[in-house]
Amino acid sequence: MASIKLFLKSSVGRKFLVGITGLGLSGFVLTHMAGNMLMFVGPEAYNTYGHKLITNPFIYIAEVGLLAIFFVHMGLALCLALENKKARALAPSQKPSNCEKDARLGSRYMVHTGILVFVFVVLHLITFKYGPYYPVSYHGVEMRDLHRLIVENFKSPLYSGWYLFSMVILFSHLVHGFSASFQSLGFFSVRNCLIKKMGWAFAFIIAGGFFIQPIYGYFYGGN
Amino acid sequence: MLDSKIPSGSIESKWTQRKFENKLVNPANRRKHTVLVVGTGLAGASAAASLAEQGYKVKVFTYHESPRRAHSIAAQGGINAAKNYQNDGDSIQRLFYDTIKGGDYRAREANVYRLAEVSVNIIDQCVAQGVPFAREYGGTLTNRSFGGTQVSRTFYAKGQTGQQLLIGAYSSLMRQVGEKTIELFSRHEMLDLIMSDGKARGIVTRNLVNGEITTHTGDAVLLCTGGYSNVFFLSTNAKASNATAAWRAYKRGAYMANPCFTQIHPTCIPVSGDHQSKLTLMSESLRNDGRVWVPKKEGDNRSPDKIAEDERDYYLERIYPAFGNLVPRDVASRAAKRMCDEGRGVGKSKLAVYLDFQESIQRMGEGKVREKYGNLFQMYEKITDENPYKVPMRIFPAVHYVMGGLWIDYNLMSNIPGLFVLGEANFSDHGANRLGASALMQGLADGYFVAPYSVGNYLGSEKLSPIKSDSDAVKSTSQAVQERLETFKKVKGNQSAETLHRKLGKIMWDKCGMARNEKGLKEAITQIKSLKDEFWNTLWVPQDDKCLSSEIEKAGRVADFIELGEVMCLDALERKESCGGHFREEMQTPEGETLRDDDNFSHVAAWEFTGDKPKLHKEPLKFEHAHIAQRNYK
Amino acid sequence: MKLHLKIWRQNGPSAPGNFKDYEMDHVSADMSFLEMLDVLNVTLVKKGETPIEFDHDCREGICGSCALMINGNAHGPDTGTATCQLHMRRFKENDTIVIEPWRAKAFPVIKDLATDRTAFDRIMAAGGYISVNTGNAPEANSNLVGKDTSERAMDAAACIGCGACVAACKNSSAMLFVSAKVSHLAQLPQGAPERAKRVRGMVTQMDQEGFGNCSNTGACEAACPKEIKLENITRLNREMVRAAFTE
Repeated sequence: MASIKLFLKSSVGRKFLVGITGLGLSGFVLTHMAGNMLMFVGPEAYNTYGHKLITNPFIYIAEVGLLAIFFVHMGLALCLALENKKARALAPSQKPSNCEKDARLGSRYMVHTGILVFVFVVLHLITFKYGPYYPVSYHGVEMRDLHRLIVENFKSPLYSGWYLFSMVILFSHLVHGFSASFQSLGFFSVRNCLIKKMGWAFAFIIAGGFFIQPIYGYFYGGN
Repeated sequence: MLDSKIPSGSIESKWTQRKFENKLVNPANRRKHTVLVVGTGLAGASAAASLAEQGYKVKVFTYHESPRRAHSIAAQGGINAAKNYQNDGDSIQRLFYDTIKGGDYRAREANVYRLAEVSVNIIDQCVAQGVPFAREYGGTLTNRSFGGTQVSRTFYAKGQTGQQLLIGAYSSLMRQVGEKTIELFSRHEMLDLIMSDGKARGIVTRNLVNGEITTHTGDAVLLCTGGYSNVFFLSTNAKASNATAAWRAYKRGAYMANPCFTQIHPTCIPVSGDHQSKLTLMSESLRNDGRVWVPKKEGDNRSPDKIAEDERDYYLERIYPAFGNLVPRDVASRAAKRMCDEGRGVGKSKLAVYLDFQESIQRMGEGKVREKYGNLFQMYEKITDENPYKVPMRIFPAVHYVMGGLWIDYNLMSNIPGLFVLGEANFSDHGANRLGASALMQGLADGYFVAPYSVGNYLGSEKLSPIKSDSDAVKSTSQAVQERLETFKKVKGNQSAETLHRKLGKIMWDKCGMARNEKGLKEAITQIKSLKDEFWNTLWVPQDDKCLSSEIEKAGRVADFIELGEVMCLDALERKESCGGHFREEMQTPEGETLRDDDNFSHVAAWEFTGDKPKLHKEPLKFEHAHIAQRNYK
Repeated sequence: MKLHLKIWRQNGPSAPGNFKDYEMDHVSADMSFLEMLDVLNVTLVKKGETPIEFDHDCREGICGSCALMINGNAHGPDTGTATCQLHMRRFKENDTIVIEPWRAKAFPVIKDLATDRTAFDRIMAAGGYISVNTGNAPEANSNLVGKDTSERAMDAAACIGCGACVAACKNSSAMLFVSAKVSHLAQLPQGAPERAKRVRGMVTQMDQEGFGNCSNTGACEAACPKEIKLENITRLNREMVRAAFTE
């Protein structure tokens, strides 16, 4: 037990937690993205899926778990980032090092992109989870018409623009985050060809999946 | 008289005998003894770690910021050991004999035999520490051959053997630091030796970061401070390598033995201009696969690829068919010098010969060559901007190692009781020429396997009264150090110590370098005397010595080098024979090889500081086991 | 070659530092970077000015003493090269060169360009070794180590402890240094018995020294003069996870 405690307190252990929670969140966005794809099948499929999800009694446990993962990921990452800033000690006249140009692009802005993703998530929850309730009935079951809500929002170029921008940010966060998690967990180095490609592929699938939804909504949705 | 304290008995039993005779210190009493170790190279780090493991209180000093920066780290080629893993006829006896012969019969037999004997333990120890020596696919250790021998007994870790061995010793040292049995003083330079009742009882150090002068007392002092090749300014030694600790001990009465025995390494990268700050060695192992040549024609300015095979003179293979490119270092160096003297040198300066890998690349392929020497080739290319896979390397001899050093007896103790000298800083094991891959062996043999016994014996047999930090001996020595620092500041000239050091280096290289003669040496002594005056009239150091100041550090070191240079020339002048690295032009065979004078010079020349002209003491060398012969590598 | 130098001057650990300009003329392309600084220092001494302090020793790229940030690059523009192995032929007429010390809270400046890197020694003392007393070793060939394993260990052991990884990292993390040592010893059978203790000790000490945390950016690998691989950090993480479940 003592060794586990020591591990979790160490920089490596905390990075491990950031990595593993990151992968957990990656799993969440993947299922979320896949579920959303139902919007292309039609409003009924999409709304029924949403309804089943919300009415499942385990949803509360899942939500609490997800929230916990989210906050552990964010809290630890911020705490590590603050330590990093302290460790640097630059004099005012010194410029940051050039060597970082050799670093992976996304890796330099993980905190920035992370915070933007957080802002997006909060707004996203306000817009959808806590947004207006449009009722709709299928086969006699009343449920929320989320499809309508989504299409309505995507009709606004401002909202779609923000959404697309956020997905670019998420993409950048995932490109590094996904492969880096595997390094933090001690599986592969971020230089590993396979894991590097997987990071790109994963980020591409997620961001790409989320990307086509507002575009579809903006051009074709609702008619 | 100089008593070398060699144990009686047959050569094979001497060390066993001595270990048995040695007095021991009870484990509970060991922690009452403080041992001061100066230097953290192979000898220092290994001795400090071993003594601390036994339970002594050890204080370790290095002028480096970290013990791992000591210059042992730069040794490339490997470390010898008589393991006979290659089944090619090696044995302790043969390593002993090769070392004695390689040293041109100017080393002490008993010491060399012990060195060969413990060599096998060194490899065991290093492997256990995690030194990643090169291995066969089956998992066993592999070896390579090295200059001056006909067996493969050299263990190596790529071209970074010294680094790996030092990291092994350093990690053992740091383990003891972590366990608080060793107190480590980094960026502390020893500036004097504290003597009390005729025994070495402490040292005075300067903290290089804040200029603070501190005294440290103890029961024994181990000098593991390396060699003084930098007396030549340009050498393959690190920039900070210096003679100061040894020279301060000399001035307190320790004898300096065979100071003129310097080794000129044949394969260094040639000088590129006046700005040159040091020379870079290319490992001798390159001679295993590289062929040395110069054009047959004098003043041939064509590029090497334009010179046809029959217009090339592979002179080492021609003159020494039995050993070819693998002749000992002194022989290879002098041959290169002769070629350049004949006007057949290559490159812009004409002070270089070719080391060519074309034949090897054709024979085993570029990949294999890269695997064996990749990092050396890369280093060469970085420095010269030439690709040695395409163009032959240009090499020239450079000062590399000194066989001379403080005189010690069989127990590694100098003539000052309590002052032990280990590694390159002592004189004992290599005679007039050291074989490749033997320096690492000696440093570790002294540190791991000899000093721990000898120091224990000394502490167990001497009655040492406690020494107080406010005693007169301590205070006066500390004051002497302070005063010397002040005298540097008072000169207020306009030359940096480095400028003066370059001047000394030129005198030494021209007159006391690869070839020496009476006239030149006498001139050198006069020139050094006037350089000494110049030093004390034109030196500039900053007035603030309470901070990091490399100028102040260098001033002290150069002042000592100048004095040492004079004694080296004196020793070279006195030794009217040629042996190993010491080549007196008056004493050579018709073919230009060294000619020893065993009747008159089969001795160790140990110099005593008197304040005026140093006094010479002779320790006769007896050869009972090695058959004395003219060295022959043909 | 004519050069404009902007060099960081700082009198002591607590003194404020600033850049000072120096002009150099007749710089030969064959000079090493440190030789160029030597020449500058000789001219400073002639003028009675205090020369620039910088760490250096072997000048063969192996002791790890030299440590200069050159135009924002640890050890200068070349890959796999320590400062002492950098030559002036890499620069052009009229170039401006900015020279700074390593920058990390765990490496305080001693003077000018010289920094205190003893934090690395303390990390080593916390576990960077195999505990074997002198005389205690078994016969060298009694432990078989495959050629590949041995070579991988050697590649990790090639670290010279210069601290370029820390200097290059935006977080001043020492992970590459620590991981190189952990990797070297963890891969060898000799190092196996104290694997867990070693990695725990070294990581704990690393955290205490005030180094930052690894962001897996890979800047350290790019700056390393010995080209120590990022895989070592992965292995260190793995070792640490393993150690969490080993008492």
